[in-house]
Amino acid sequence: MSERAFTWLVRLYPAAFRRKYEQDTLQLYRDRMRDERGLVRRVRLYRDLMVDAVLGAPQAWRNSYAEASADTLAGDVSGLPGFHLLDQEPLRAGAVAIGFVFSISALVGFGLVMRLPAPVCAARAGATLSPIEAVMDRLNRAIAAPRNDAGERAAVDGGSAQAQLTTNDAARADKSAERPLSASEKGQVVQGVAENLTAHYFDRQKALATMERLRELEKQGEYAGIVDGRMLAERLTADVRNATGDPHVSVAYSRNAIPNAGPARPTASALIQYRTVMLKQNCSLEKMEILPGNVGYLKFNSFPDMEVCGASFHKALAQVGGANAVIFDLRDNTGGFPETVAEVAAPLFDRTVAWYNPKQTQSATTLTPAAGSKLANKPVYILTSSRTFSGAEQFTYNLKMLKRATVIGETTGGGGHVGVFHRVDEHFGIGVPETKIINPYGGPDWDGVGVEPDVKVKAVDALNEAEMRAAKQILR
Amino acid sequence: MPKRKFDPLPTAAFQILLSLADEELHGYAIMRQVEQQTNGRMRLGPGTLYSSIQGLLEEGLIEEVDRKAEPETERRRYYRLTSSGRKLARTEAERLADLLRVARAKNILRGDYV
Repeated sequence: MSERAFTWLVRLYPAAFRRKYEQDTLQLYRDRMRDERGLVRRVRLYRDLMVDAVLGAPQAWRNSYAEASADTLAGDVSGLPGFHLLDQEPLRAGAVAIGFVFSISALVGFGLVMRLPAPVCAARAGATLSPIEAVMDRLNRAIAAPRNDAGERAAVDGGSAQAQLTTNDAARADKSAERPLSASEKGQVVQGVAENLTAHYFDRQKALATMERLRELEKQGEYAGIVDGRMLAERLTADVRNATGDPHVSVAYSRNAIPNAGPARPTASALIQYRTVMLKQNCSLEKMEILPGNVGYLKFNSFPDMEVCGASFHKALAQVGGANAVIFDLRDNTGGFPETVAEVAAPLFDRTVAWYNPKQTQSATTLTPAAGSKLANKPVYILTSSRTFSGAEQFTYNLKMLKRATVIGETTGGGGHVGVFHRVDEHFGIGVPETKIINPYGGPDWDGVGVEPDVKVKAVDALNEAEMRAAKQILR
Repeated sequence: MPKRKFDPLPTAAFQILLSLADEELHGYAIMRQVEQQTNGRMRLGPGTLYSSIQGLLEEGLIEEVDRKAEPETERRRYYRLTSSGRKLARTEAERLADLLRVARAKNILRGDYV
């Protein structure tokens, strides 16, 4: 056994032992190597050393080596907290390796978490933001990615399009964003809200009463303590809803400046851009498949303008027209045009049904069935997720209420429909229902709460679930 | 229970105590002395030897001898028995003697001394 091998054996022993006796043990080893020569004695020596290394270790570990640590603890007399090195053993290679592995995995884990697309956050944002704020939030996001832009604008506020915020506007808004509200500003906001209500709300009597109520509250100093725009918007929303009894009125605050564009129609260039984007994305039609058992599967991520996408949509619907069942995958569908929603639903009926459209401009609507559709009596499944929003929720809600579809997946995002948006000032706006909305199905809709699925499963599992149910349904 | 660590006294520790009974020795000399007094049956390796020595030191059964006279390079640690170490060795020896008497009474061991 070489001296090197011997020092390895000594590592079985505690560090304190090695500190004190390493030289001694080496010395003993050398002495014995020197004195015990010849094959037999050498072999005996090697055996001795190995057996000894193992047998001596327990005793070595039982010893306290108190002497060695006594001096490092000796300074603890003043009662002050101190830093004591209890063991001067250098870091072992193993410890360093484990530390390395842990740090790398922590880093990788963090990186993965950061890369996730955060659907949960989106859902939560949808829940805590007021409906208009959610819309504004999406509009603001659209600046970064001008996708579906014109469509959304036209869709969310029923045609009175908001011009897209320019980056200049955003920059300007950031500067003024953190400034607390002054009393006069608040007064102007309250006044603006009241004026917009009386001007646009479908029930003028209620609007006037609400105006009185808001002025009263302001006089009583109810808004005096509010300095934050968002809080003021929330408070005004509550007060207006209380006074009107209408949950679809909403006051919104936007950190970013709301452009003073007025209710302009989308410009020609915006429409051209929309058309280009839509056609490039195949009108958001992501997938058209006939699954085993002749089950038609359609995944589309918006309800685009039929003027642009009519042909694509009708073609896709025709392709699933002969199916035994249809699955509409709306898990990534963020809504669009109410007219498109109706048009996609039409082939599913063979009779006229009551059709709920909270963005309608005239009350009481029905849905006329598409002529010659073979889908009218076929099972329909709708896949939802927490990202399913707005128009996609209307589609889901109506078909669910009409018992025409089985909704599978997660509760939808709960996008609001708040009538027509009016700008109050640079940071405040109000959504006013200009026509009385009649829900033919009775009861509350999905505003702020989302559509509950019939079959609650995780969004990722929804397709499997639907396929299984479709197969069973077809066999029946 | 100050002596718990060496109750019962391990053979190696007892042999070390015995080897130091009449002179101060360094590690290697202890090892040779033990070998001799056990007729070559026990050859202490470095691990057993020094962990036992450390244990005995901690219990105050032996002590290190300061030998400043030796040159630094040749310096080895010498150990000697303390009075409590001597007492413990004697107790252990008496225990073994009792054992022998019993063994002899049971006719397991024959002989006429001890």
